[in-house]
Amino acid sequence: MKKLTVVLLIALLALSAVFAQGGSETASKSKATKIGFVVINDESDQGYTWNFVNGMEAAVKQLRAEGYSIDLLYKKNTTESAICKDNNIELAEEGCEIIFNNSYGFEPYMLEAAKEYPNTKFVGMTNCGSQVDGNPNTYNAFAAIYEARYVAGIAAGMKLQQEINEGKIKASEAVMGYVGAFSFAEVISGMSGFYLGAKSVCPSVTMKVYFVGTWGDATLEEAAANALIDAGCKLISQHSDTTSPALAAQKAGIFHVGYNTDMTKVAPNASLLSSRIDWTRYFYTFIKNHIDGKENKSDWTGTYAEGDVKVTDLNTAIAAPGTQEAMDKAIKAFHDGTLKVFDLSTFTIEGKKGTNETMYDSFAAVQGNATYDGFFHESELQSAPYFVGKIDGIEWLNAAY
Amino acid sequence: MSEAGKTPLIRLVKRVKGDMISPRKIWAIRIGSILFAFILGMIPILMAGSNPFQSYGIIISGALSKPGYIRQTVKRAVPLLGAALAIAPCFKMRFWNIGAEGQITMGAIFASAIAIWFQDSIPALPLLTLMMLAGIAGGALWAFIPGFFKAKYNTNETLFTLMMNYIAIGIVRWLQGGPWEGRPGTQIIPMFKDNARLPNVFGIYCGWIIVLILVVVVHIYMNFTKHGYEVAVIGDSINTARYAGMNVGWVMMRTMLFSGAICGCVGWMLVSGANGTLNADVAGGVGFTAITVAWLSQLNSFAMIIIAGILAIIGKGSTTLQTKLNVPASVADIVSGILLFCMLGCEFFINYRMVFRGKKEGKV
Repeated sequence: MKKLTVVLLIALLALSAVFAQGGSETASKSKATKIGFVVINDESDQGYTWNFVNGMEAAVKQLRAEGYSIDLLYKKNTTESAICKDNNIELAEEGCEIIFNNSYGFEPYMLEAAKEYPNTKFVGMTNCGSQVDGNPNTYNAFAAIYEARYVAGIAAGMKLQQEINEGKIKASEAVMGYVGAFSFAEVISGMSGFYLGAKSVCPSVTMKVYFVGTWGDATLEEAAANALIDAGCKLISQHSDTTSPALAAQKAGIFHVGYNTDMTKVAPNASLLSSRIDWTRYFYTFIKNHIDGKENKSDWTGTYAEGDVKVTDLNTAIAAPGTQEAMDKAIKAFHDGTLKVFDLSTFTIEGKKGTNETMYDSFAAVQGNATYDGFFHESELQSAPYFVGKIDGIEWLNAAY
Repeated sequence: MSEAGKTPLIRLVKRVKGDMISPRKIWAIRIGSILFAFILGMIPILMAGSNPFQSYGIIISGALSKPGYIRQTVKRAVPLLGAALAIAPCFKMRFWNIGAEGQITMGAIFASAIAIWFQDSIPALPLLTLMMLAGIAGGALWAFIPGFFKAKYNTNETLFTLMMNYIAIGIVRWLQGGPWEGRPGTQIIPMFKDNARLPNVFGIYCGWIIVLILVVVVHIYMNFTKHGYEVAVIGDSINTARYAGMNVGWVMMRTMLFSGAICGCVGWMLVSGANGTLNADVAGGVGFTAITVAWLSQLNSFAMIIIAGILAIIGKGSTTLQTKLNVPASVADIVSGILLFCMLGCEFFINYRMVFRGKKEGKV
């Protein structure tokens, strides 16, 4: 009996010695700048987080090539709960100097952690509270995705116009379906941009929107897409995170415009192209500025002209002829600054010209007048979208808050 | 042939009084099981391509080597300990309350209601007190319902309490996307104002003090009160309790009220302390893990401090492991699952004796 106790004690001692060694091993590492990234899901979602991780990896690669020494730490599969705060604290304790958060719902928890770690910079991406919270160590970033959606809308409009011209559908049958996540500004702004892009090349187009009330539920998104197809939609687009609307469109033999990721692989006969945000430049600039001791903007908006939003390669096998040229024309106009998505002369709200009251999101963190010079200045007062106008030609089948 | 064919290779015999093994041997089995778990746990770590010794080192150091780590570890231990304390009286009674998750959530809902309705009009101390009382009421109510049906109609409490969890969590989802939602579409209930937040003591919200008080309260309740005695008698034999003239139904309902009240209190601490707001993940599985804590500590409230502490260390250490070695979080979950399994499993070898074929039954 005594022998057994002695053996166990020795084994315990040996184990604890190993623990101690393991612990100290990791403590002594080079003094590279540590960057933390708290993400929802992980890159296997092939959409939302995948797009963020790609941007971050590209930025870090670029910075390393320039001689910057960077350690990148992830907290993946974070939920929009106190776990998010814990993950931010964890990264701050690990010595991260900047911690990026990639989901809207993370921000309140991130801000809690930011109060406890004033020397760490916290970035709430796709959100809007950090710029106005009065803390100097919190930041926001978003990109003018409505511009990319406008360009993608052109591809959609060209396709429908081609079908009208070829007599396949009547002008009044040029109806697009849009699967949206929630009926708030981010989605409304994007879908309006998409619609206006399509309308710029197909004047008779209309759109029906169905909100699923969640970001990434393949089954619900598929059901929504099918409901829209049953309602007569000839093309499906989406602001939700899975590829199931593309598959539904392919099955019904109609067309599709995606988001976040190139969906032509899953639906080669339906998907024309996708719009997406490219976060590389933001990550690159923010980290570089930080290491070089330069200030970063508390609120940052990426634009088409700077390459922060873009469309994926056009599926030329099914796109209407002339689509690329039409898109290039719009892209060039974004670069010139001559094209504004929310040009008041191109749409009406309940038959009247849009006013700031009918278009500005009263829930936005920053309030102000964005309606002047003949267009609605989206993403200028704050990076997070605040256009919520219900423009004519878009029919809401439901709402989901 | 016939003899050997009928007798299985190994038979299990429950140890009875006089056949118990020595306390020293009991602890040797327990420590041995932990070592065994560590060895088994190396398999998934190796499969994930990491060094198991380094990984174990990181788990321990990631939970305890810095004040910031210790704070996070304690934060994890608090609700775990609280929920284990709550279900201990039920389990003592052999009433399988696996609804701590829902009772915590319900307590959190009630406490949040007070915070949301009155945080603009009531100062901190009375507001927090009201929130606590509401939380206790919410948790107690949610526990009382299955307790009532068990007492009156002998319903299956395991299923009943389990189903109640999903209802409570569903209610939070509805509140998050409906009446209490902040900005429409966000599914987020805004953070409570400072007067609805528990203050920090040593950098951790003061729930850790409250839960330590609860340890003493539950210990006294279970061991030194008439209530505790009745619970123990019912746990041993309902018929004995009936014969002794106890109102078994009422004791069940009363114990569930007590249990639910503690869960509700935990829910209150989570929303006003750790989280700062209400969301559907408020209990976060604590109600289920607490069952393990309660069993491992054999319903002893002081032992629960240690067990909850160990589980919190593994939990916190695992997140550090994930950050530092990029080990998937699920691997760390597997390792802690193995550990729990071995720790619970070893009790089996303490309570049962293996008899091999051919050998005699033994001394008894």
